[in-house]
Amino acid sequence: MKRRALVEPAVSYAFLGVLLVVVVFPFYWMTITAFKSETQMRSLVSMFWPDPVVLDNFRHLLGDTDFLAWFKNSVFVAVSSTLVATAIGTLGAYSLARLSFLGRAFMSSAVLITYLVPPSILFIPLYAQIRNLGLADSLAGLIAAYPSFTVPFVTWLLMGYFESIPIELEEAAMIDGATRFGAFRRVILPLAAPGVLAAGLYAFTQAWNEFLYALVFITDVKLRTLPVGLSSFITGDVYGWGYLMAGAVLTTLPVIAAYTYLQKYMVEGLTAGSVKG
Amino acid sequence: MATPAARLPGRAALDRREATVGLRLVLGPDYRLGFLFVAPIVLLVLALVAYPFGYAMYLSLTRKYVGVPPVWVGFDNYVKLTWDGFFQRAVANSFIFTFGSVSVKLLLGVAMALVLTSRIRFRSFFTGVLLIPWVAPTVVSALNFLWIYDYSLGVLNYLLVRVFRVLPQGVGWLSEANTAMASVIAVNIWRGFPFFGISFLAGMKAIPAELYEAAAVDGAGPLQRFWRVTLPGIKNIVIIVVLLSTIWTFNDFQIVYILTKGGPGGATQVIPVLTYEIAFGAQRLGEAIAVALYLLPALAVVIIVLARYMRRGQAR
Repeated sequence: MKRRALVEPAVSYAFLGVLLVVVVFPFYWMTITAFKSETQMRSLVSMFWPDPVVLDNFRHLLGDTDFLAWFKNSVFVAVSSTLVATAIGTLGAYSLARLSFLGRAFMSSAVLITYLVPPSILFIPLYAQIRNLGLADSLAGLIAAYPSFTVPFVTWLLMGYFESIPIELEEAAMIDGATRFGAFRRVILPLAAPGVLAAGLYAFTQAWNEFLYALVFITDVKLRTLPVGLSSFITGDVYGWGYLMAGAVLTTLPVIAAYTYLQKYMVEGLTAGSVKG
Repeated sequence: MATPAARLPGRAALDRREATVGLRLVLGPDYRLGFLFVAPIVLLVLALVAYPFGYAMYLSLTRKYVGVPPVWVGFDNYVKLTWDGFFQRAVANSFIFTFGSVSVKLLLGVAMALVLTSRIRFRSFFTGVLLIPWVAPTVVSALNFLWIYDYSLGVLNYLLVRVFRVLPQGVGWLSEANTAMASVIAVNIWRGFPFFGISFLAGMKAIPAELYEAAAVDGAGPLQRFWRVTLPGIKNIVIIVVLLSTIWTFNDFQIVYILTKGGPGGATQVIPVLTYEIAFGAQRLGEAIAVALYLLPALAVVIIVLARYMRRGQAR
């Protein structure tokens, strides 16, 4: 029956096995490195298991570096810019997907094109803009700048989501006397809640992972976000692999948590919402 | 695109307020709520994208140092860049980096989607795990590979020299000119192929099973079903994902910046990293923006083609 399957299961398992090792190994290596002692690492013994398992790297990371401050900065920036982006994006996506007004088609295109314009051509003028606003070297500057990529993304994602909600539900509410806004708030928004949550979590991971703007806008060491902070360990201390990897583990965890929730949406192709063809 | 229902409130309100009829005709039936909801996006796009972009175009036509007012120089920056060896090399490297990465990601992505649609168990487990590189912070992945590639203590040399004994001695993966580019490309592929795979998987699942049935009844083997049913079925997604990834890869800053900073000796220098270095290392902003914008016409073509495909997909 399953004519859809074009590859023999044995071939699939073999290929998946190889792929799985290639995908998982760097994370495994990162994790065991975080628990290895400095001596063990330099002597190349028991490469694939920490012997002994030590917490020195985490102790050093949390006690002697600015890691905790960076972590807080990242949480603050990612959460704030996600809330802003989700609110703006949800309203905008609804109006672009469902309402009829002058300039709608133009704005839909503008949102999509904005989503496609890469940060690498925007970061210098955006930095100038943020500095003009007096927000250079502040977390507020990052919170102001991040919607430039999270809002178009959330809007684009949710436009597709709103379009998939049957319009009859809204019509029924309005025939029962609800205003357009009432129908949006009481009928459509609750139905769209899973999509809004998913889009918000995506926006969060994007903000959490952002590197270029944070690198350029922030000079104060204490105000760095995690990605920039972590990568600054490289120039400082060549042999800091243990606590660097400990930091990498702690930086990855929040994203993996968000992702565990998101997985079913990704597999259903909502991400791709942007890319369903 | 206007659906009949979108006019409903318009019709109800017509009876109430005759005076707004004209406005509604011009601005559309839902203009009040529509404008209100879309206003923040308009402001945001103007302030954070359109204005900076326009300003960037202007700055690229000036000589501008940090903290000093710009001086108009016309197309000087662009003309100079055209004959600049560093820039030429960065352009060439950017193309090698992009096409090397995207082509392998495409092949791996198709393979990943094909095996995930075959008759296997634990499908959702495999799918979930394979997506992790795409979800994990790029900085973390780049730092992981920096550590894996490390010459003396890295695990790659350890495996190749001591465990599998395929090399007599370690390789400085990122510090030798002939391996550095391949090494950074590998990291980009590792991080990016799951996106190809998951998108193609969604596309393959959307192909009606009857098409495969019909092809099988007509005597088509797996290979023919792939060429005649699967590929045509995911064609649009393939185009979209390839173009999207081309833009992202061409503009990938983090992987190269963290792994090599463009080195050794410019062997992996790509446009985004060169832009950053000219802007914040040399403090020559006008020239830096010209580097970033030099290939704008090509980027614009890709974006316009891609946007058409994506809108067609969404309006489906």
